Amino acid sequence: MPSLETCFHCGSGAAISVRAFGVDGIERSFCCGGCAAATGLIFAQGLERYYAFRTASDQAPRYEQRSWSIYDRDRALRSYTHVREDGDRELSLQIDGMHCAACAWLLDNSLRQLEGIRDIQVNAGSARAEIRFDPAQVPLSRVLHSIYTLGYEPRPLSFTPGAATWLVERRTALKRLAVAGFGMMQVMTYAVSLYAGALQGIAPELEQLLRFVSLLVATPVVLYAAQPFFIAAWRGLREHTLVMDLPVALSIAAAYLWSVWSTLRGHGAVYFDSAVMFTFFLLLGRFVEMSLRNGFGLQQDAIARLLPESILRITAAGEERVIPDELCAGDRVRILPGERVPADGEILCGRTEIDESMLTGESLPRARAAGENLIAGTLNLANAVDMRITGVGQDSTLAAVSRLLERARASRPHIAEAADAVAVWFVAGVLVLALIAALYWLHVDAARAFPTVLAVLVVTCPCALSLATPAALAAATTQLSRMGLIVTRGRALETLARADCVVFDKTGTLTYGQPVLTEIRLLRADASRERSLAIAAALERHSEHPIARAFAKESPAPSVSDSRSWSGLGVEGRIGEQRYRIGRAEFVRELCATPVAAPHIPEGRSSILLGDTEGLLAEFVLCDALRADAGRAFEQLRRLGLEALIASGDRAAVVTSVARQLDGPRSLGDLTAADKLAYVHSLQAQRRIVAMVGDGVNDAPVLAGADVSVAIGGGTDLAKVTADIVMLGEALAPLPAGIETARRCMRIIRQNLAWAVLYNAAAVPLAASGWLQPWMAAIGMSASSLLVTLNALRLLRAPRPAAAASDLPHHPPQVSPA
Amino acid sequence: MNILYLLIPLGLVLVAIMVAAFFWATKSGQFDDLETPAVQILLDDDSKPMRHDRKSRDA
Repeated sequence: MPSLETCFHCGSGAAISVRAFGVDGIERSFCCGGCAAATGLIFAQGLERYYAFRTASDQAPRYEQRSWSIYDRDRALRSYTHVREDGDRELSLQIDGMHCAACAWLLDNSLRQLEGIRDIQVNAGSARAEIRFDPAQVPLSRVLHSIYTLGYEPRPLSFTPGAATWLVERRTALKRLAVAGFGMMQVMTYAVSLYAGALQGIAPELEQLLRFVSLLVATPVVLYAAQPFFIAAWRGLREHTLVMDLPVALSIAAAYLWSVWSTLRGHGAVYFDSAVMFTFFLLLGRFVEMSLRNGFGLQQDAIARLLPESILRITAAGEERVIPDELCAGDRVRILPGERVPADGEILCGRTEIDESMLTGESLPRARAAGENLIAGTLNLANAVDMRITGVGQDSTLAAVSRLLERARASRPHIAEAADAVAVWFVAGVLVLALIAALYWLHVDAARAFPTVLAVLVVTCPCALSLATPAALAAATTQLSRMGLIVTRGRALETLARADCVVFDKTGTLTYGQPVLTEIRLLRADASRERSLAIAAALERHSEHPIARAFAKESPAPSVSDSRSWSGLGVEGRIGEQRYRIGRAEFVRELCATPVAAPHIPEGRSSILLGDTEGLLAEFVLCDALRADAGRAFEQLRRLGLEALIASGDRAAVVTSVARQLDGPRSLGDLTAADKLAYVHSLQAQRRIVAMVGDGVNDAPVLAGADVSVAIGGGTDLAKVTADIVMLGEALAPLPAGIETARRCMRIIRQNLAWAVLYNAAAVPLAASGWLQPWMAAIGMSASSLLVTLNALRLLRAPRPAAAASDLPHHPPQVSPA
Repeated sequence: MNILYLLIPLGLVLVAIMVAAFFWATKSGQFDDLETPAVQILLDDDSKPMRHDRKSRDA
């Protein structure tokens, strides 16, 4: 039991403000009215067992009254629900705040008490609920409100046919698997009886009965469960290619037809057991591989579902709540704290912090101010901001990410193509070998010809060759996208694994690419840090210069008037009665009524001054700071045996100083884009495999020249990026981790291929020489293909901690105390 | 051994029923989520009368 000092519902130790008697007459303490209301509801519905079974405390439900009436608009009903033939509607919900099976139970039982709810399925694992309801009896808003009062946040999901196809595919595969599985059990029983009968003697009528029953059971297995193999083989033949399903289909068909013929004739061997077992194990392997691929698809789906349920649109007529589907480019919307951004857009006014972790994997929020871009699906953490929409639907960044992933899936690495090419020859070889074995055994011992050919066909199925490589690639791509690395070309994975040197661009790659305020030096006794910063921020607000962005995070002093900016010099403005200037030293000094001496500024330091008519106030030291984890990334790259190099267009002195901070890698400065390209080519001439890391837009030609290119881009220009791999975050650490994953992937593919070759080299002679019974061949082949699929699954495990993504902060360094 | 003439067809009928049951279960979504129900059984308590009749649930 929770103690009296903590909230009964959410368990928080926050000040207890509400004491309430439950329906059972016991007084309980709550931290807020929301918790009290939730508990009241749970007890009133007789569901208090929830408190005994939950494994974690709840989030405090928000007490604020929230209107869900937007969901009763026709447009919302159409977007989120789907009408069944009987007039009921179906709804999928993502439910935030659900943490264990007790929550699922609570939701299930609580919602069932609403009139008009036909059915509800709550899945605690995925925090999803599927609800079937009658809108005439219970409006959608009421359903959502009930969930909300329990302390959960319901989020209706658009009705997507994609997820449904996936489900149908899975269900069909399960059904085929079941038919094959049950069929196999039966046929094996009969087969054992037949084998025993052959040894010990069996009544001929009984033997014939067992064969007919086997035929009866095997028929649906071959005609229904094994259908995909026949279809794939037929399709391959029509396109004049030898697909790996061809020997499979051939062996199943041959074993089945031969056995049917033997059964009808009344003598000869039957191989129903081999055909059925082969089908079952192959289907099992395919099922595992399919689950793996679909897991990947679902993850993408999850990204696309991050849009908010409704958003405040601001029009000339006023404000209204609309659903994201109604928005179009050019609309002005207001995003309140805690809301997700509904579409890509540009902030018109306001400053806030945005959580972009869904896109980049970065846990720390990023500051965004007017003029900066927001990406659909990211979360507004701090303040309300107004935004003008620039991209919705297919034009949004989310759609671009999906397209990049799609492209990656469409193109396959060399090793996969090579495996496919080999598979064609392999299939041809197997067919020829089976023919030779058939001819040989027909001469030597005609009775053993058929079982031998069957064993050869079954045992050599090239599944390990063609099935396990895609499985490994899908697993690796999934793992990489979890780290914030999007592989846009299948080949990149392979080259990345082989790369032996990494060339970094400096500006925007090793550094943040924007000047950051690193130090403030006060130049007058009466100047204060906060005041100087506020004035500077206020003045720079009206400047388009990149330097102005260094001040965007500071809170500006109010009301600057008469603001003017002098190109290349600085900005002037009036606050109250005082005139201020910020910018280059000589420009600021001009404003002073009495001449002041120039402050001493050390060589090689870039800084700007702030002054008023009385004299100079402060010096702001700016620098393009190194990314927080650059040093660590370099060290990890070195540990992986790669050489990290710097090639930059910046002044050589600056580049050298950056290199010094990174333990002195080889570095080159003063390079034009053509020089950089030449440098990359010279490395390639030394037979090195070069990975080039740049910001993706400015150095596109250099990136294109490298063996594999990585673009580090805050996620905004994804559509323009041509690199092979895109890093969505602001951190460099995923790069070494990604290289490690790529290497593991290639290692696993090679292991799988090696296993396939070894296995076939051992099994084929055995089968061709008549040592293997067809059923032994079926077991051997199935075990082999299951083995390689499971081996590929190992990639989904997180990489070893040494190379795991950095847990360092990834934000620019804050102003250090002066 | 004559009993086999009864038992084998009986076995076939049982298999047919099992396959039919499995198909029905798949169609009604029993295998779509293999995680939640395992824990949920701990929570459902039939001794507590539910206010709403479970019969309204039609699969």
